[in-house]
This record gives sequence, C-alpha cells and structure tokens, in this order.
Amino acid sequence: MVKISQDFAPPFKLIAPFFLIGSLFYFFASVYLFSFDAANLSFVNPDMIAFTHLFLLGFVMMVIFGAMAQLVPVVLEVGHFGVELFYAIWPLLLTGTLLMVLGFLYFPALLPYGGVTVLISMLIFVGEIFLTIFKVKKLTLVMSSLLISNTFLFFGIIFGLLMALSYAGTISLDIASLLKAHVYAVLGGYIAITIMGLSIVLVPMFTLSHSFSLKPLKISLIMMSAAVVSVVISSFFKIDILAYIGYALAAVSMVVYFYLIYIIYSTRPRKENDIYAVSLMFSYISMLVSIVIVVFYFLTQKEEFLLASMWLLFFGFFAFLITGHIYKIIPFLVWFEKFSPLVGKQKVPMLADMVPYKSSQAQFVFCAVGVVLITIAILTKGDAFLHAGASFLFIGTLAFIRNVFYMINFKA
Amino acid sequence: MYTKDELFQAISTVIDPEVGFNLVEMGLIYDASCDEEGNVKVVMTLSTKACPMHQMILQWVKEAVEKLPNVKSADVEVVWEPQWNISMADENVKKALGA
Repeated sequence: MVKISQDFAPPFKLIAPFFLIGSLFYFFASVYLFSFDAANLSFVNPDMIAFTHLFLLGFVMMVIFGAMAQLVPVVLEVGHFGVELFYAIWPLLLTGTLLMVLGFLYFPALLPYGGVTVLISMLIFVGEIFLTIFKVKKLTLVMSSLLISNTFLFFGIIFGLLMALSYAGTISLDIASLLKAHVYAVLGGYIAITIMGLSIVLVPMFTLSHSFSLKPLKISLIMMSAAVVSVVISSFFKIDILAYIGYALAAVSMVVYFYLIYIIYSTRPRKENDIYAVSLMFSYISMLVSIVIVVFYFLTQKEEFLLASMWLLFFGFFAFLITGHIYKIIPFLVWFEKFSPLVGKQKVPMLADMVPYKSSQAQFVFCAVGVVLITIAILTKGDAFLHAGASFLFIGTLAFIRNVFYMINFKA
Repeated sequence: MYTKDELFQAISTVIDPEVGFNLVEMGLIYDASCDEEGNVKVVMTLSTKACPMHQMILQWVKEAVEKLPNVKSADVEVVWEPQWNISMADENVKKALGA
C-alpha cells in the first residue's frame, strides 16, 4: 500500500486564517491604488514601498504560507515537524506587515519592529519547513526546489531586516545595494522557485496531465538559482556585469519554465476552462508580457517600463496564480472537513459545486480588466486609466473576499 | 463468490469529487477479484500520484466492496503501472473533460 499523505494534513482552522487575511490584504492593496498619482509613480516613493509590502507580505506571502502548510505534507509524504507553529506564523506576519506599512508611510521608527516581527514569523516558517524536509530520506526535484527557495527566503529576509534598520536610522548601510539582493532573493529566489516547484505538482494534478519530462524544471531551477546568486553578488560587490548575467539567466529560466507549462497544458486530458484554468492562463500571459516589457526597460532605461513589468508580475502573475489555486484549495479543504465523513451516507456536493460560478467569473473579469487598465495607466501616466483600473480591481477583489467566505462557509 | 463485473458495479458507487465521475468510468479500477471465503482484492490506480484525496478514495473503495453481503475483507492495492491516461476512461468522461 502506498503511503497516504492526507494523514499528515493540518486542520482547516489552522489554514483558514492565512487565506482570509490574505484575501483582505488583496482587497486593501486594491483600495490603496486610489491614492496614487499616475504621473509620479516611482520605486523610491515610500507610498510605493508600503504598497509593495502590503501586497507581497500581506497577500502573496500570507497565502503561500497557508498553502504550504497544506501542500508540504502532500508533496513530501511526511508530517510537519511542528504544524502548531503555523498558529504563530500568521499573527506575527499580520502584525509585522501592518507595522512595516505604517512605518513606510508615517513612522519610520516602526520599521525595525515590523521588520523583526516579520523576520521572526518567516524564520519560524523557514525553520519548520527545513525540519520537515530533513525528515524525508530521499529528495525529489520538487522537494529540492522547496529547500532552495526557503534558503533564499532566509537570506532575503535578513537583507530586508538590514534595510529596515537602515531606513529607520538604527544602522547605516547602503540601502541601494541591499535592495537588489533583497528583491531578487525574495521574488526570484523564494516566490518564483516555490511557484515553479509546486506548480509542477499542482497543475498536472488539476489538469490530469502525465508523462512529461521534468528536465526543463531542473534547468529552470538551476538557472533561477544562479540568477539570484549572481545578482546578490553583483549588488554587494558592485559588479554590474554579474547583474546583467543574472537578469538574462532569470529571463531564460522563466522561458524554460513556461515551455514546461506549455507542454503540460498542451497534453492535458482535462480541457474544460473552469475558473482555475482561465485564472492560470491570465497569470501566465501576464508573466510573458511582463518579461517583454522589462526588455523595453533595459533598452530605454525608462522607469515606467520597469513599473509596468513589476505591476504585471505582481497583480497579473502572482495574484491570478494565487486566486486560481484558492478556488481549488479552499473547496477541497472544506469538503474534506465537512463532507468527506458523509460520503456513502448521504449525497455530498462535488468540489466544483462549492465555487460560486457567477461571482468567481465576475471576480476574474473585473480583476483582469483592472490589471490591463492600470498597466496602460503606468505606461501612459494617465490618471483616468489608473482610477478606472483601481475601480475595477476594487470590485474584483471585493468579489474575491465574498467568494472566499462563501467557500469557507459552504452549506450543501 | 463475486465476479469482476459485480465488484466493479459495487465500486462504481465511489465518485471522485474533483472530477465528478465514478472510479470505474474514469478507468481507475484495473482489477477486482473475490476468493471463496469472501476476501476481495482490488487493484487500482489514481489519476495523479500527489492526489490529496488518496486516503479517502481507497477507504471509499474498501467500504463499497465490504458493503456486499458475505464479503469478509477487502484489500485495495494502488499501482502506478500501467500509468493511467485519459484513453482508459469511458466516452462520457472524455467528453465531459473535453479530451
């Protein structure tokens, strides 16, 4: 008999707060967009830094941590080292994120406190994942990707804390050189490698794909890891050529990853375009457009191209990838807890019945239109597009919160 | 005691809640046999190795078979060879999944 992964799954009450809080931060990030002026968007603006952390820590990291609590035992086929630690992770990440956002906006003195709180939260997460991985006797490629991504997260948050201390005036360091290392370690090293590793488990699972080679994933992981190391070294030792090598490696890594996703999609038996499938398609298209736009940035050095590229990466790629998966993960968790004991005793709903069809479609359309309009706003510096896009995203993210609550509280 | 078809009929009450079809229609049940003493052996696969419903599905198959009169025990074995693919599913499943 094959080992049974679900034996090790954490209870839903442990995971639900990650998804609920993450969804609320997604909504707050869309509300925040109304405060921007399209003509003055810049990466060095504290409003922009606060917004980036609100979205990445509050939404992206929060949901990834919750999903990892559920998926790590499935992928590794061992129980968590200390699953109860996740009860401490979300309150610390929530508090730390709020302190950091307030610190960037109004009170820089709060930044070290926020940074340390986030650091503790992430160190608990990284430590728990490492100790869980060490229980596995033989590492697969997917497990290795988790190990690599969490190592990068460890360094990324150390760089981030040093920046927060420097920003608050506690210590004196070159923030600019730390910034590249922080961004690359977290975005490329942690988020991208985690997505690459887990999506090779999740996408085939939901599309019923089989018989594809994992060689492109291996190449992609090696290239992205080399890219992150290259950029980190270049930022500390001011070797520009290493940075450019890192950017090129990261771009090629993503292209190779997309080639694998394309293979999985083109050979998938399950071709129905549910909300999961269309969300993922939008996310992958956003990523490809983001790569094209960043090439224009390197050719022209105009900041609006870099901003538009990052916008599409965050709200196009990350957000749609995450929301798409939430429409699969929450119904499963709720179904497992509420309905699986009733199988054979009474009629139980299918997982697809637990997703609110019209509302999820509306969420997708409003968010997608919002992302496109704001991309145009960034490129043309047009306030009308910015506010129109923010309005669409406001409605879309509000629908998303409604959908999350609906699925969590689903009654047959 | 029970033929393969009768056992498949019993197992066809088990529905995959993700896909919405029963396991027999999906082609996931490879073999089923019953000896004279009422001990059943089911050989099946899953559509994906990392299926989070792995445990539940095996339990449902076991329960579906053990509901049959005079069945003493049921052993459900999961195999990965031959690997499942959509051609093993029946036409209704293929059509519904757009394959």
